[in-house]
Amino acid sequence: MWKILRDLLRYNWEFTAGVILLAGVTIVALLSFVSPYPPLDVYVVAPDLPPSMEHWLGTTSRGQDVFWQLSVAIRNTLAFGIVVALISRVIALAVGLFAGYAGGPVDRLLMSVNDTFIVVPIFPILVLFYFVMRDQMSWGLLALVAACLGWAYDARLIRSIALSLKTREFTAQSAFSGMNAGEIVTREHLPYVMPVVFTTTMNNMNWSIGLEVTLSVLGFTDVNTPTIGGMIYWANQHAALVSGIWWWIAAPVALVIAVFVALFLLAVSMNEYIDPRSRLARMGGG
Amino acid sequence: MGPILAVEGLKAYYQMRYFGTLREVRAVDDITLEIQRDEIYGLAGESSSGKSTLIKTIARAIRPPLNVVDGAVRFDFAGQGPRDIYTLSAPELAATRWRHLSYIMQGSMNVLNPVRRIRHSFVDFAFRHMSLPMPAFLRRVEEHLGHLSLRPDVLESFPHELSGGMRQRVTIALATVCRPDFIIADEPTTALDVVVQKGVLEMIRRLQREMGSSVLFVTHDMAVHANLTDRLGIMYAGRLVEEAPTRALFRQPLHPYTAHLIRSLPRIGDDTPRHGLEGRPPNLASPPPGCRFHPRCPLAMEVCQQTTPVMQELAPGHRVACHAAAQGILP
Repeated sequence: MWKILRDLLRYNWEFTAGVILLAGVTIVALLSFVSPYPPLDVYVVAPDLPPSMEHWLGTTSRGQDVFWQLSVAIRNTLAFGIVVALISRVIALAVGLFAGYAGGPVDRLLMSVNDTFIVVPIFPILVLFYFVMRDQMSWGLLALVAACLGWAYDARLIRSIALSLKTREFTAQSAFSGMNAGEIVTREHLPYVMPVVFTTTMNNMNWSIGLEVTLSVLGFTDVNTPTIGGMIYWANQHAALVSGIWWWIAAPVALVIAVFVALFLLAVSMNEYIDPRSRLARMGGG
Repeated sequence: MGPILAVEGLKAYYQMRYFGTLREVRAVDDITLEIQRDEIYGLAGESSSGKSTLIKTIARAIRPPLNVVDGAVRFDFAGQGPRDIYTLSAPELAATRWRHLSYIMQGSMNVLNPVRRIRHSFVDFAFRHMSLPMPAFLRRVEEHLGHLSLRPDVLESFPHELSGGMRQRVTIALATVCRPDFIIADEPTTALDVVVQKGVLEMIRRLQREMGSSVLFVTHDMAVHANLTDRLGIMYAGRLVEEAPTRALFRQPLHPYTAHLIRSLPRIGDDTPRHGLEGRPPNLASPPPGCRFHPRCPLAMEVCQQTTPVMQELAPGHRVACHAAAQGILP
């Protein structure tokens, strides 16, 4: 494992750049635990100060320090992305692997559910959900709903791999040796689809963070929880760009773009490097 | 003790329904044979003669549309008495497989999961059947690999890191590590060059002698059969047409199809041209009436077009299904 990581860092600049960017963002997020200001309090510092030595990224019109606000926001946004990715990966893997392996009526049933989720327009549903739930709409609930809407494409992808794995000899051999469907799927097929799952995890995090930012900017979430989208929402509410408080908008936008780029680079490099054969090829090892 | 395997009147058809009409491909049609303990039984025949279907049916490794229509497959593993494999319950079947009955699959190059180390394949396939603690199990596996001249470090390799011959030996080790009573081998040497093939065949022979198990060995390669098997059955178009001890069969084949198979083998010093058999094997969805071989048979008589020949024992242990042979006409 460590050897693979070392080789990745040495031979793949996409991976190195992605890791450095993501490490930077993670450090900012972790700094929120030592924040000098409570994240939800307003007017704790003088408002509308430009970046300076005292306030690195300036302060907001609500009297918050942009840097420390940002560190809490990126922590919540990253956590959102990770939680959505994990929950939706579990659903996508379960549906995709079992539909592909079982085939027949089970496959048809699961895929009709799956295709329903693919064609359903996600954004209006989330907005509708917000209007129905309103006061109960918490960060956790939004993550759950996004996860339940975000697994369908990847389940189809995983199913297509499972369909081909099902006809390989090693599957026949596993079944012959007495493994049941659950064991075959988790022990024999799961390792095979893991590279794809890694890549789709990154893509899914990008998608869910983008979704969260969009909803928050428009105010369709619990805007009192500090998130990247929430910060931009409050900046817009105070007409930050019009009144020249550009740092209030620029800081969260720059940071979330760094996250997108980092995840994209990781997805690209993972794709190639989880497969030991292509890794050897790039290292010139045959 | 009786034979380890008795197949009686086995019929296994691929049954497909197209728009309400049933289409049947009679890949295994009325086969009866017995395999004794401690012997290597060979099964030969050209492609699409039903060899693989027969052994899949014997191992109960079949999935729809392939169904068993009639007949029984009775295994008699040490002291358990003969039981039809199709009457076993799922847990009984799982307990039988690998421990008593194992299977070296066709295209065994792909039997190993390409993304898992060899050790995991052994643990996944064989561990549950050995009732040993993990360290003892791994020691046993290493010891067994040693029998097949493989170093223990192949356990930590991925399949793509091994050569074809090594991979083949690993799959044979996988199928034999539990010392099963009965091993089915489906073309295990077909993809190998003759040098590696020779090594693998010697290894199978040696393992079989050591463990005293029975092997059902399937290949279309008559030269391999001549080298390895004790008795040989010849299949044509889903039927068993001749069965005899291998030496007797090569010395005096009674069925014209067997005679052609043997004549096609090259011999050192003999440079007469080999003539292929005219025609193609029949479509098993609508086989010809009577003897299925009669359209290609040089000895075909009128009776061959009407009546299906039955297996008759014409010499001790030598059974053949041929009207001509029954009348004493030799090919």
